[in-house]
Amino acid sequence: MTTPENQKPLNNLFILIALAVVFCLVPLVTQEAYFLHICILALLFGALASSWNLINGYAGIFTFGHQAFFGLGAYGSALMSMRLGLSPWLTMWAAGLMSAALGLVISLPVLRIRSIPHIAIVTLAFAEIVRIVCSNLTDFTRGELGLWGIPPFTSFLLPLVGDVTFDAAHKVAYFYVVILLWLLIVGATYWILRSRFGFGLRAIRDSQIAAESLGVHLTRYKTLVFGFSSFLAGILGAFYAHYVLILTPSSALGIDIMIQIVAMTLIGGIGRLLGPTIGAFILTLGLEWLRGFGEYRMLIYGVLLVLIVMFLPKGLASMRLGFLRRQTTGKIPT
Amino acid sequence: MLSMPLPLFFEQIINGIVLGSMYALVASGLTLIWGTMRMLNFAHGEFYMLGGYFFFLLISSLGFSAALAIPIAISLVFVVGLAVQRIAVHPLLGRPQWEFSTLVATLGVSIFLQNAALHIWGERFKTVPYFINGTIDIVGMRLSYQRLLILAVAVIAMLAMWYLLRRTRFGMALRATAMDRDAAMLYGVNVYRVFTMTFGIAAALAGLAATMLSSINSISPWMGAPLMLKGFVVVVLGGLGSFPGAILGGIIIGIVETLGVITWSSQWREVISFTVLILILWFRPWGIFGVKES
Repeated sequence: MTTPENQKPLNNLFILIALAVVFCLVPLVTQEAYFLHICILALLFGALASSWNLINGYAGIFTFGHQAFFGLGAYGSALMSMRLGLSPWLTMWAAGLMSAALGLVISLPVLRIRSIPHIAIVTLAFAEIVRIVCSNLTDFTRGELGLWGIPPFTSFLLPLVGDVTFDAAHKVAYFYVVILLWLLIVGATYWILRSRFGFGLRAIRDSQIAAESLGVHLTRYKTLVFGFSSFLAGILGAFYAHYVLILTPSSALGIDIMIQIVAMTLIGGIGRLLGPTIGAFILTLGLEWLRGFGEYRMLIYGVLLVLIVMFLPKGLASMRLGFLRRQTTGKIPT
Repeated sequence: MLSMPLPLFFEQIINGIVLGSMYALVASGLTLIWGTMRMLNFAHGEFYMLGGYFFFLLISSLGFSAALAIPIAISLVFVVGLAVQRIAVHPLLGRPQWEFSTLVATLGVSIFLQNAALHIWGERFKTVPYFINGTIDIVGMRLSYQRLLILAVAVIAMLAMWYLLRRTRFGMALRATAMDRDAAMLYGVNVYRVFTMTFGIAAALAGLAATMLSSINSISPWMGAPLMLKGFVVVVLGGLGSFPGAILGGIIIGIVETLGVITWSSQWREVISFTVLILILWFRPWGIFGVKES
């Protein structure tokens, strides 16, 4: 696998910032609630898939239970804000830490396993345990009936802008928060990739034995990336909870979320900085577009997944970014 | 559990073995596919689901007897297995990152088949009557004929598989491919034909489990996923690629679940088996029968 992030680090940063600026300008053009809702979901899933890309695309550990951390963040933040009356702005980070703690716990058995399917199945089994526990603890989570009455983010007064309100009618505020989260996560990934830690992760992906012999502390690196990635997923889950305001175990913890993450990362390009985001936009917009096909939507979706792995094995990011890079290398001195 | 009378306890053990023998059928297909192709088949649950539906249609719409419907349903699932391998898996084998891409491709197949079933047969749960009614009392244990029949069929299927793998030319070719694909190729084994046949056989085993369980569990488009997960648990527990491991793993999970359900409650069934899996892998990462990685 090639790692173009090393060779042309500036380009990716430029594209990242340019994309964020473009996103920020969107509400100036249109504030249509449905369109913003789709964009919020695409960015949310783009960020979630990016957090998974950190473990899978860069460290090469194929986990299949990322939905557990997302869902735990969602339920954790929702329950903390409901039962303790805390502001969602606080519980969000607490929920992220909860997910990180859970990520560290599950990284322990994973540390001992190297084969791809074993890790996939252990993490999947773990995520299913979290889902079933969540739907069985009906006194606490209301189970499959759904947890409703989750408070939205508290409004605040921003100097120069005025009141920032969060409710179903005002998606603009949510949109800016999700842009910020997305930028935070992809930016952190970018920063990690250029650090010693990021080089260590990719060394682990390419060969664990070689990495270890060169002094990469496998246990430390793996637990750290697990914890950090789970932390990010937990924060995104918390955002999701305070955005949709109703949670069920199957919507926040179901295996469907994991399938979405895998599909997005794969479509966009695995182990690429912006791959998951590109994939998330294509898949989210594509699934909305397929609504026109009614009942056949999921049938077409399944066929598309097969066709994409067959004909676009490296994802779309490899095509598009390669094209952009050829154009920009002449202009930007690096 | 400790306060339970002894015959009831043994009755539950036997029920666990019956359930576990069906898990073993599903898991042995997964283990065969892993053993020969080194890939995970995420469409396996849908083979199981299709087996259930084919069986249901043959019995209720065409009025076939169970003895005739079972082999026909299995053959149909076998053909579906061949087709899935040829269309979705075969083109990916050997390409870079194929361990990962085959997994996603089979996920796509699974989504497709599940929604096709939902579209064609609707979301109402279907049921099939018991093949034989009645129970038998053996030293205080009450066992239904249906469950004993399931156990007998599982044993026959396992013996047939053992014969196929150990005593036929195709079985030799399959085992050779599993051991070393390149060496098998050099000796004239058509490994691609082995791959396709393995998929078909694995699908047929899942279909057989579905026809057996369809009278106990109901048939729905979503019936596959939980059983596939259980199959993965069993396979990893027994050691990926190990046929005896799949059988023993299936029976262990079956017994643990049955005893767990009467001790706690049925909604914790999956939690019990998944916890057992994680704990076992923690201490023995290569499974019970698996070979330790070098």
